[in-house]
Amino acid sequence: MEEKEKEESKDNGIEVFPFIKGERIDLVAENIKWVDLFCKWKNDPEVRRYSRNNWPRTIEEIKKWSEPSPRGQIKEFIDLTIFHKADKRPIGIIGFGHINWVSRNANIFAMIGESEYWGKGIVGEASKLVIEYGFNELNFHKIYAGIYTPNERSLRVAEKLGFKKETILKEAQYVDGQYLDIHKFALFKRDWIKSKEK
Amino acid sequence: MNDSQVSVFIEGEIIDLVPLNSKNINLYVKWENKPNVRIYSRNIIPNTVEDMKKFFEPSKDRRMKREINFEVWHKKDKKSIGYGAVDDIDWYGQKGWLGLVIGEPEYWGQKIGEEATRLIIEYAFNELNLYKIYAGINSVNIGSWRCAEKNGFTRESIFKKDMYVNGKYYDTYVYSLFKEDWLENKK
Repeated sequence: MEEKEKEESKDNGIEVFPFIKGERIDLVAENIKWVDLFCKWKNDPEVRRYSRNNWPRTIEEIKKWSEPSPRGQIKEFIDLTIFHKADKRPIGIIGFGHINWVSRNANIFAMIGESEYWGKGIVGEASKLVIEYGFNELNFHKIYAGIYTPNERSLRVAEKLGFKKETILKEAQYVDGQYLDIHKFALFKRDWIKSKEK
Repeated sequence: MNDSQVSVFIEGEIIDLVPLNSKNINLYVKWENKPNVRIYSRNIIPNTVEDMKKFFEPSKDRRMKREINFEVWHKKDKKSIGYGAVDDIDWYGQKGWLGLVIGEPEYWGQKIGEEATRLIIEYAFNELNLYKIYAGINSVNIGSWRCAEKNGFTRESIFKKDMYVNGKYYDTYVYSLFKEDWLENKK
């Protein structure tokens, strides 16, 4: 049993450390060896359209972003890599940004970098895992999600997860020659707990 | 110390809590080293002016400090008489330790410690959104426990023979206060 587990946890010789386990995917600790993939995803025009990447990211920049912060420094963001179990490969990134530890809130973000995994409910599955982590372990009071008007897929995922639209920041983001509205969704811990009880 | 240079951070009745002032480093060094003050603040190593200067170095983590320090400012007498802190802050777990030193003995036994403690507690719960505050108090430091107990702290635990002071080991009493109990007490 142990042997099989060991085999499953290696992705092309890179050891994988699950942090949160799911069904089709696990959320695992980032590995600097995947930096080429992160670079590809963050620059990919299709992927970056709604993740607000307006200029090219170099590998060096991405490496710097993944550098460990000084010991004891309080994290402003927490990134996890979405790892597809059956296909044994990292396929995206999910996590929390703009974490406010005093006010116990944060912004959730998610990106599936490999397009063949779009439209399969993976963002929903990964989001459920990370939201549970945010409320149950990090003890957030509220999680935000910022979504642009044309991003129908994300809007549907957010609503399905129980996020409620709190406000619209009109024409707040310039994407592909247009000013888009940002829909600010929010999910309260108490509502998440209630929805699980049903 | 000219009182026009004091920026009040938290206002009290007899005292205010104000930011640390690098001009007062010599005062801090005096209090840290003074035998009758340091016996209860567990200082067994001499502190130099250079050591104190480290409090004024900008920390690398500018936003989330692990310890937040105040000077205790006596309003009528217009002078600094001690310092307090919320220390060892666990931001993820919303907990911290309360520390207070009144460095000038003529201000002991006048409810000043009590007021300073009350103000720091209010700050920690109301502004930092902590849910639990600890205070570690030397078993011999009766003045401090009374101060803690008057503010609603309860003795949660003991670290036995925790401090070696003047040739003897003393227990440290671990006091704690929960936000929900503090809110109850305010009613």
